[in-house]
Amino acid sequence: MRSQISKLTTGWLAVAIVVILLILLPVLNAPREWMLYVFLFLLFLAMSNMWNLLAGYTGLISLCQPAFLGIAGYTVAIGTWVQIPWWAGLIGGAVLAGIFAILIAFPVFRLSGVYFAIGTLVVPEALRIVFYLWKPVGGELHGAGAGYMIKDIADLTMAHMYWMAFAVAIISAIVIRIILKSKLGLGLASIRDNERAAASCGVNTFWIKVYPFVIGAIITGVAGAIFYLYQGYIEPSATFNVRWTMTLLLATVIGGLRTEGGPIIGTIIYVFLYFLLARFAGISLLIQGIILVVIMLLSPQGIVGIARTTRFYRYLERLFSARLIKE
Amino acid sequence: MAGDIFSPIVMGILLGGLYALIAMGLSMVFGVMRLINLAHGDFVILGSYIAYALMTFLGMDPIISLVICMPAMFGIGFAVQKYLMGRAFAISAEAPLIIAFGIALVIQNTNQILWTPLSRGLTTQYSMASFHIGPLQFPFSYLLDFIAAVIVMLALREFLSRTYLGKAITAASQNKRAAHLMGINTNLVYGFAFAIAMLSAAIAGVFLGMTFPFTPLSGTQFLIIAFGVVIIGGLGSIFGTLIGGLILGIAQTLAGALLGPATQMLIVYIIVLVILAIRPQGLFGR
Repeated sequence: MRSQISKLTTGWLAVAIVVILLILLPVLNAPREWMLYVFLFLLFLAMSNMWNLLAGYTGLISLCQPAFLGIAGYTVAIGTWVQIPWWAGLIGGAVLAGIFAILIAFPVFRLSGVYFAIGTLVVPEALRIVFYLWKPVGGELHGAGAGYMIKDIADLTMAHMYWMAFAVAIISAIVIRIILKSKLGLGLASIRDNERAAASCGVNTFWIKVYPFVIGAIITGVAGAIFYLYQGYIEPSATFNVRWTMTLLLATVIGGLRTEGGPIIGTIIYVFLYFLLARFAGISLLIQGIILVVIMLLSPQGIVGIARTTRFYRYLERLFSARLIKE
Repeated sequence: MAGDIFSPIVMGILLGGLYALIAMGLSMVFGVMRLINLAHGDFVILGSYIAYALMTFLGMDPIISLVICMPAMFGIGFAVQKYLMGRAFAISAEAPLIIAFGIALVIQNTNQILWTPLSRGLTTQYSMASFHIGPLQFPFSYLLDFIAAVIVMLALREFLSRTYLGKAITAASQNKRAAHLMGINTNLVYGFAFAIAMLSAAIAGVFLGMTFPFTPLSGTQFLIIAFGVVIIGGLGSIFGTLIGGLILGIAQTLAGALLGPATQMLIVYIIVLVILAIRPQGLFGR
């Protein structure tokens, strides 16, 4: 028993050291590229976690995540034009993304499976046109309904944004944990496995799907808004773009759909690919598409799925779940 | 004023034919395999690009290039179903969707690498011509679209009701298990169904290319239009598909005439969302 506890502590100690090192990265004067890698990793991780919650654990292939991060991003950007500080814009953006999720939940949740995927695909496409046409602030000079610069964020340093990204990523992981351990997690699993049976057992399938959808929208929104704070400007065609969906899909599917560790591993690989393929902008998405198809066919549960069959993974699993079997 | 309304309505009806043509493959795949082929729009655009390649390099007329384009897309469709989709169905419910999404990206970016993101068109002498109804002029290519849609629709109906393969496809779409027990090779039938859907996508792509300019990223737009047509018309109904196409076509051209061209697609998207909210099974669906 003692050896198991010491194993347990070694495992968690390693995790804690990595997390603390990452948190201290800006203070330690790490190279700027390193911070950028980790920063993007954290934001993508937060969004992929939410996508995994929807697609992996609830069976909802949501293709409208760009809508949420775009709405939150635009709230921050437009807010800074009317003297709303960026942090208030961030909160407002999260709230608006959540409200928007509730609004579109009514049409899209009447659909299931395949219908749901296309129903959600329509949303960012429509929003892109809306944001092309709709120009609430700013004069003619700033482009015809195109982009907005984010103003007055000079006091916001990379370190601040880095820590915000860290907070969002950690929160997203904790939220998933809590949801999966709760009654809601059970309800979601029942919907994924058989929605009709779940409904006939008294599960309110509409509202129980709305919770993860809205939570996902809020966290995706915040992560997106932080990304646009970093980028400094926002414009419709890159924001409401299928590329974002691809990022989340790829990160989750490479790592392992329906596994908690999947998005972490997948996002590390995705960020690696992102910078590796950045030089070949044209074929980057092509390669990503091929990877997506191949991974899905060969190992539907991604790298975690493959790793699960190895002895090392079982050892790690024992390490972290030792508390449960210490009796 | 009456002329102002009349002209967009006629345009909308003719355009609706093109939309129905684009949607037919999507409807077929959905009806038979219960799969929304997220790559359908990109397959249609792939058809346009194949015709474009044949036109630029061999100087082939787009309609004649169908002789090559159709078998090519038929083969691609059969291979995709056999090697990718067919396996995906065995994995999980979401696997075919994710794989279709991956295929869509592969096609988009292959087109982008081969043909650059510039906007292209299949311009011929007759596609630029126009015809008259009274004092009003209409592009001849729209009329061609409508005629092609009607021909393909009738051919598909005859095929499904008269040939062995057509009947087998219908049987598999109604009840896969029962069809299998009756000695129908359902995997093969699925392959042919997907291939035929791609064949119709090739035809749609050629006529689309003659009507509108297209870019490698146009696929998503036409996927949503096709999806809108399918949910308005209801599944598996060839006649419903035509009606769905007409409704969307007229809505789009009327919106363009009354509210300005920028809102055209927005109206289509809103109609799709509203119908999904009110009647997800489609206006004419059971």
